[in-house]
Amino acid sequence: MDTISRRKFLTLVGAGAAGAAATRLSIADIAMAGQLRPLPPGTPILVIVTLYGGNDGLNTVIPYADSIYKQSRPGIYVDDAHLIPLDAELALNGTMSGFKTLWDNQNLAIVRGVGYPNPVLSHFSSMAIWQSGLPTALTNTGWIGRWLDGQKQDPMNAIGLGSVLPPLLVGAKKVGSVLPLGGLVVPDHTTAFDLHRLGLPDSTDGPLQAAAASAITDFLNLGKNLTPILKLPAPVPDNLPTQAGGSFGSDSSLSQQLDVVAKLIAANAPTKVWAVSLGGFDTHADEVQGQSTLLGTVSQAVTKFIGQMHATSRQNDVVVLVYSEFGRRVKANGTMGTDHGTAGPVFVIGNGVDGGKFYGDEPSLVKLNDGNLTVTTDFRDIYASMLEDVLRTPAAQVIPDWNSKLPLLLSA
Amino acid sequence: MQNNDRLEISRLIHRFGLGPKPGEYSALVAGGINQARTNVLTVPIVDQGIAKIPDPILTDLGPFPPQKTSAAATFEAARNQQILLLQLWWLDRMVAATHGLTERLTWFWHGHWATAIGKVEYALPMFNQNQLLRSTSLSNFKNQAHKMIVDSALLFWLDGNSNIATSPNENLAREFMELFTLGVGAYSELDVQTVAKALTGYNTVRSAGTVSFNPKKHDNSILSFLGTAGVFDAPAVSDYITSLTNDQDFIAQRMWFRFISTSDPLLDKTIINSFANREILPLVQALATNSAMSNPLYSQAKSPVEWFVSVCRAVNVLPSSLPRNSVVIRYLATMGQVPFDPPNVGGWPFDEAWLNISSMQARLAFSKYILNGADFSSFNAIPSTDARIDYLADLLGVAEWSTRTKVVLRTALNNPRELVLIGINAPEYVVNA
Repeated sequence: MDTISRRKFLTLVGAGAAGAAATRLSIADIAMAGQLRPLPPGTPILVIVTLYGGNDGLNTVIPYADSIYKQSRPGIYVDDAHLIPLDAELALNGTMSGFKTLWDNQNLAIVRGVGYPNPVLSHFSSMAIWQSGLPTALTNTGWIGRWLDGQKQDPMNAIGLGSVLPPLLVGAKKVGSVLPLGGLVVPDHTTAFDLHRLGLPDSTDGPLQAAAASAITDFLNLGKNLTPILKLPAPVPDNLPTQAGGSFGSDSSLSQQLDVVAKLIAANAPTKVWAVSLGGFDTHADEVQGQSTLLGTVSQAVTKFIGQMHATSRQNDVVVLVYSEFGRRVKANGTMGTDHGTAGPVFVIGNGVDGGKFYGDEPSLVKLNDGNLTVTTDFRDIYASMLEDVLRTPAAQVIPDWNSKLPLLLSA
Repeated sequence: MQNNDRLEISRLIHRFGLGPKPGEYSALVAGGINQARTNVLTVPIVDQGIAKIPDPILTDLGPFPPQKTSAAATFEAARNQQILLLQLWWLDRMVAATHGLTERLTWFWHGHWATAIGKVEYALPMFNQNQLLRSTSLSNFKNQAHKMIVDSALLFWLDGNSNIATSPNENLAREFMELFTLGVGAYSELDVQTVAKALTGYNTVRSAGTVSFNPKKHDNSILSFLGTAGVFDAPAVSDYITSLTNDQDFIAQRMWFRFISTSDPLLDKTIINSFANREILPLVQALATNSAMSNPLYSQAKSPVEWFVSVCRAVNVLPSSLPRNSVVIRYLATMGQVPFDPPNVGGWPFDEAWLNISSMQARLAFSKYILNGADFSSFNAIPSTDARIDYLADLLGVAEWSTRTKVVLRTALNNPRELVLIGINAPEYVVNA
């Protein structure tokens, strides 16, 4: 199968998406697969949430008891009235009430100070490192893509939501699939008939023309009489948060993406990895309100999704991983925001997660590198845990020579 | 030979123009490749098509009124109206241009200095930036960067307004070097911090699109970065950075990527050397006349705006004259590309990103909307045989239809509207071979 060049991988990360050789699935394909070869009960499912833009970790998991925190960011620190303490030292941003509930239920683990050696402060380069999973090697593959390489051929193994594929799903031999949000309208009969033939492959097609042709075919394959699962109601969550802040972003695109994932998991889709995303975290200016709103969206959407899983038989199988390409500078800049930084927190969520506790050391606000936090936890320790204890694949198959991991799962 | 000419001329007219007007492609093919190159690469002093498109009347709307007041509703209506006017104005220009090179390059630079109205929020500063990019689109890159680094819309977009010496904001400094002039890795983190200091002291009045400089908020200390030292303001920083060799390589690579190939890097030194003085037109000429232009591997997918504009040019439809013309912007949004609103500072994606089921669906519905008011009478003079298929290829600037597409086209020989509908959704048109 075609994959993409290193150069293209990097550039596509910049664009937030890749698409080479991706199988584009219809809802019907997935629904059918859910009936014909349902995911066996108890099969683990990993849902990866990418936050684009570099989320400010210090205003997410807040060292509220450390006076240097407030001194470093006059005007943009989260004040005591807008935070939710987790212990005597750290608190969640006040919009994240859903995450507090998950924490109290011991379903949310917070990994502190996560990054990689020699941090890069470019959005595009740092996101390429996170999505490839290999900070030093020049690779054109994503970490889930390399996991796919070791799986049996199945276009439903890993699915990204949206119109284009995230680079983390691109492997050397196999790639994940992409599922567009929203419904699709099949055109009237005559045109559909003509279009059907317009989507046939032709021996003179180059790779791009072949992709254009297969997009036509995939579009029409939905058929006229399918009953899209998308039109069915999503699973009803059993634990919708009612605390203050819980109403943020209920109609956000992250919530929509996770709604589709929830419907398809409930329909027994044979999919082990799902990828969704939210952008807007590049808060160089006027950070407080913008970031709080986004964090509220993340907290509410993920909490609702976990609640939806409780309404299925999969609640013990699903693990959600939330990360961003970097954290932000300790000191505020002059425009009520923060510049690109290094380490940040990662969230791991699910019934099977050994949650309600922190992993990794909280980075010091004093011992800074060039004004930036020191990385205390390598993200590969988290990936290794996701690979071995969720996807049940030896981590070294995906990240060569890596042999440490965090005990994030109860089963670990 | 003839077919090779058809391929290269199709690329010339789509990549260095905005697609052919009726009759244009067949005339260029008849004249041969050398004449076609000269034609596509020579900008007329006055463009008769563009002369018919008046500039939009955009006013300073002032600050946002308090929310939920009647003033806020009036303001929002006026603001949205100005944004729509601006977007349709540019699309109209792209469609009306007799000669496409200037608008095509302005479009490239817009994606390069990707500034989004989603954050800038006012049409006027985006219009000013657009005019700046247009006036410098084929002249000197140093001059363009010198002006862009203090452009109101860009300053606001990258938080370069209200940037003060005591605690500078690095956003503009970093992206200026990483994405606009040098490329990632061609500078250190210390360079980012130092350049950020030199960019302090600027202020924008966003609604008016004006920029002022306050020396008291500017860092006047001696700054050392990228092998130089001195006291710098923003344009001086730009002048120095764009004089570096890395800038020559980087801009040439970016143009190669967007105009020639997204898969292979630019290796041809003669193309890079053509940009030694940062003159853009010689670089464009070097790219457009390079043998890579006939390399069969270097197909490129049309982005949604490129596809839309080329369709409108072929069927003589002016975007603003379409019924309920705000629908145009809605369709472009569904396809993922609205002028003046790139998704992030890295600009728009490319190639495979535009070839998926969602864009396919939107393209088909959009096609029907565009073609509803179009005039297909020129087909009447062509017999209802394969001659119409050849005529359609020339009308759309397609080098050659595949057997697959010809089979489908033959089902619609008696229906010119359906022929065009099939043609503009065919892989050979959606992707510029």
